[in-house]
Amino acid sequence: MSLHRVLTGAPRSAPATYAEHVAQFGELPRTIDITKELLASGLTGHGGAAFPTGKKVELLKNQRHGVQFVVVNAMEGEPASMKDRVLLSTNPHLVIDGAVALANTLDADQVIICVPRDRPKLAAIVQRAIDERPSRARRDARIELQTPPGRYVAGEESALVHWLNDKETLPQYRPTRPAILTIGRSATLVDNAETCAHVALIARYGAPWFRQVGTANRPGTAVVTVSGAVKPAVTEVPYGTPIIDIAKKCGVTTPPQAFLLAGFGGVWIDGAEAHRGFDDDSLRPIKATTGAGIVVALPLNACGIRETARIVRWMAGESARQCGPCAFGLPALADDLELLASGRRAEQTLSRLQSRASVIEGRGACRHPDGVVRLVRSALEVFAADVVRHANGNPCVHAQSTVVHVPATQREEELEWQ
Amino acid sequence: MAIRKRGASFRLVVDPVRCDGYGHCHELAPELVTLDEWGYPIITANAFPGNDRELMRSAQLAVRGCPRMALVIERISAQ
Amino acid sequence: MIGFTTPYLWYSSRATGAVSLCLLTLVMVLGPLVSTRVGGRRIGRFAINELHRSLSMVAMLFVAIHVTATVIDTYVPIGILSAFVPFTSPYRRLPVAIGTVAIDLMIAVWLTSYFKEKLRPDLWRAIHWLSYGSFVAALVHGYLTGTDAHTRWYLMLTVGCGAAGMAAIVWRITARPERAGGRTALSPLDAPSPARRKS
Repeated sequence: MSLHRVLTGAPRSAPATYAEHVAQFGELPRTIDITKELLASGLTGHGGAAFPTGKKVELLKNQRHGVQFVVVNAMEGEPASMKDRVLLSTNPHLVIDGAVALANTLDADQVIICVPRDRPKLAAIVQRAIDERPSRARRDARIELQTPPGRYVAGEESALVHWLNDKETLPQYRPTRPAILTIGRSATLVDNAETCAHVALIARYGAPWFRQVGTANRPGTAVVTVSGAVKPAVTEVPYGTPIIDIAKKCGVTTPPQAFLLAGFGGVWIDGAEAHRGFDDDSLRPIKATTGAGIVVALPLNACGIRETARIVRWMAGESARQCGPCAFGLPALADDLELLASGRRAEQTLSRLQSRASVIEGRGACRHPDGVVRLVRSALEVFAADVVRHANGNPCVHAQSTVVHVPATQREEELEWQ
Repeated sequence: MAIRKRGASFRLVVDPVRCDGYGHCHELAPELVTLDEWGYPIITANAFPGNDRELMRSAQLAVRGCPRMALVIERISAQ
Repeated sequence: MIGFTTPYLWYSSRATGAVSLCLLTLVMVLGPLVSTRVGGRRIGRFAINELHRSLSMVAMLFVAIHVTATVIDTYVPIGILSAFVPFTSPYRRLPVAIGTVAIDLMIAVWLTSYFKEKLRPDLWRAIHWLSYGSFVAALVHGYLTGTDAHTRWYLMLTVGCGAAGMAAIVWRITARPERAGGRTALSPLDAPSPARRKS
């Protein structure tokens, strides 16, 4: 079941050099336009939104003024995700190949790889890989590294492009979607680092090869980060692999009570659903998605409410604070969840939680608050039995104190008034 | 000035980034806007017909009165 | 040069000057009340905003009359140029110049507000801050230039307006705006309970 495509050669003690990369994969073919291959392959984005890559490229090709930039999004703001880091630390040249192939297809003249600035080692790896590239022909795109600040919302593609434009990581209000992202006045393609790696393989081996594994609607493999009940591990599996198998592969022994899929902005699913395949079609009935390949396993001796409270508190701190419903609503949700977790005065807390969730949803400029609302609703559903117990004053006193890795809140800022 | 075509419906749309919770919109157009517990607008009316003069007037007052210029009137459909 | 003068022009200039100062002070006090979200229960917040906007137009009108009366009157050699370009007045150069600066800043604020939709919000905001400078300049101009400046009533007026303006500035800096929730003029909700106020 373990299938290495983009992670071929893993585990490595050091990133593959250009020579090692060529020895393993061969050189990137000089074909200019891979749009048809991408469309035929059915490759979808690995950043969480799962937009068909071929369609994105096609949309941008039809832009009147041409595309100038290809941005590789390796920001990975989701704390529960490590795949992009691991991929770049293993096969950085594969990612770069993909970006170059996309740039050639779109006749773009610059590739920008974005790595968060609080990961200097990763930035150094990428820079070294860029320097190792053979000197480019005049037609080829220039490749450069940029290091925006590593806040959670900074990895959202419009926020990332906003930073590249104005050096500010604030998500923009985009009332009409999909808006073509622009840097300056030039259209820009933004793709996740792992997506670029898959593009590099499709450029070499073609669409039929790509479709050999995975499901009909989601062909190919995904690099998945598994954490929670086990030490965080990254593994590459074909889409459609049962979730419980992915978890077992990473060391999970006892069936978990629940899984958190798609990260802190994703949803909880009941442990009983773990037989489902890791792909959007089998997850849709339970309102879950594969997201950016994230699986957090919650062991039996943990409290789902408490973990959700910690996650929501952190997500509240990561709000860009541009919009009132998010800036004030998320901390309020965190307050309610913490109250619920503690088991004190819980009858009104539950209804207040539900009404607040409805009020907050859809009223921000970006999807950050919506993701949290989704998470909270799924927690109330999956941990419904716990909720009842907590509401009656019986919190999970014997539960492990923390399971999900939630980063420390970086700074507690008072909202500023202008 | 919104053009009132027969059958066209309109709605108030708030730019959540510009909005700073002043609440003038709720005061000027209570039929179209309520406030959440933190003072930020919830647009309650999904659409109102273009030939409803009162609602259109309320909406226009709300747009003009917003200190942050965070509101616009959007036309949804025309038949 | 045709000479034209009547004491009534001079009285008008002084009177409208004093009235302008009062109106401007009112505008200066209302501004921070808008941005600190005062009101909502007995007086609508929108009402304070509208008052601020309307009064500024009235104030500009009185300033215009004040300038016109002064310029037409040939008793003092202040020409139209001096109304807009500082330090061009042969009569009481510095005090008039300060008044000119006040007008120039006022025009900048007024124009940007008139074309508010066409401008970037942060540009509008930055220029709007100049209104404080305009107010101080108007206050100082009135005290240094005015024929009535040393009468008791004018002194009290200056001190009163100055104090009000100062209070407005302090309020602007220190007040923590209350949440709008539950406190608007037409809201059916009650005043927030102490627990709710904290959020």
